Amino acid sequence: MAMAAFRREGRRFAPLITPRPIAAVRSSPIPEEQAPLGVRSISTQIVRNRMKSVKNIQKITKAMKMVAASKLRAIQTRAENSRGLWQPFTVLLGDSPSVDVKKNVIVTISSDKGLCGGINSTSVKISKALHKFTSGPEKGTKYVVLGEKAKAQLMRDSKKDIELCITELQKNPLNYTQVSVLADEILKNVEYDALRIVFNKFRSIISFVPTTSTVLSPEVVEREAEAGGKLGDLDSYEIEGGETKGEILQNLAEFQFSCVLFNAVLENACSEQGARMSAMDSSSRNAGDMLDRLTLTYNRTRQAAITTELTEIISGASALEG
Amino acid sequence: MASAVGSGAAVPFWRAAGMTYISYSNICANMVRNCLKEPFKSEALTREKVHFSISKWDNGVPQKPTIRSDTPEED
Repeated sequence: MAMAAFRREGRRFAPLITPRPIAAVRSSPIPEEQAPLGVRSISTQIVRNRMKSVKNIQKITKAMKMVAASKLRAIQTRAENSRGLWQPFTVLLGDSPSVDVKKNVIVTISSDKGLCGGINSTSVKISKALHKFTSGPEKGTKYVVLGEKAKAQLMRDSKKDIELCITELQKNPLNYTQVSVLADEILKNVEYDALRIVFNKFRSIISFVPTTSTVLSPEVVEREAEAGGKLGDLDSYEIEGGETKGEILQNLAEFQFSCVLFNAVLENACSEQGARMSAMDSSSRNAGDMLDRLTLTYNRTRQAAITTELTEIISGASALEG
Repeated sequence: MASAVGSGAAVPFWRAAGMTYISYSNICANMVRNCLKEPFKSEALTREKVHFSISKWDNGVPQKPTIRSDTPEED
């Protein structure tokens, strides 16, 4: 009789217990903890509730994976097409990541939303390394941050160096007009000798290469051109119209920045979707594994309860007969 | 690209007005888009929507963000 009361108690309290995070991930210890009390059949409510919630989480992660996959497909072709925009510039002006100038501006590109693996922390890490690398006496390095996630990470220890913060970029599908207006804002609000754009270049669904692109200001380009090297070839081009070389270079530098930024934003968005896809894939697989383990525990406990009950009935009956 | 810069004044008029090459070329691009015929015109115009929020930081403190948007009714 007492045991039956116990059992009822257990059932009644079970829903009260479940919302608490029980032993985080391991699920099996719950029935074993109650066993020494001598309770005949153990409440399976807790396990059943957990199974339900794990199943729901798995549904959500699966759905998120599908969404990411379809978004990725749309954005991937655009990212690949946009590579044609900056390549001519690199051919003409070259990419000089090692240039040593006074005013560096690091443009860190990240996503607004989370649950996409490590791409945001990678770009933040690279930006911080660049910051350390470029800063020194009489030099200033500032951040321009795109996206909520990098903002949250950089706010912690580089608050003073943040100059501009841009978010909500991906509300509409990304397009060139939007990014060029944004590039315009950045150029107007920030003084720079070199802009260093940090982003994740999309290589495949599972691999992203953290990349920096450097855009120099026209004065620096001119200075470098005089020093020779790849930029020295610039003089061999004939300039149409009445513009001076300085004007042309200024126009080119501005246009180069908006093109490079456009490509960087697209590549990063593409990497974000790819990373989200693989993150969601592995989390739904983990949920499946967990569900398997829980089902096993649940069934074993139920079986044990049935067996004990049967044994008791049989032994009771044989005692009556005897 | 060089042809877009156009007339050979000493300082281009748009630069004198305080525009960058980017905003100048954007205005030009919008003109071209408006010259398209109808089904393509509205398509091209809806594709190029601007929306982002920008906030300046002053000594570690974010200022009030401003929102640049073509579609204000959504906010």
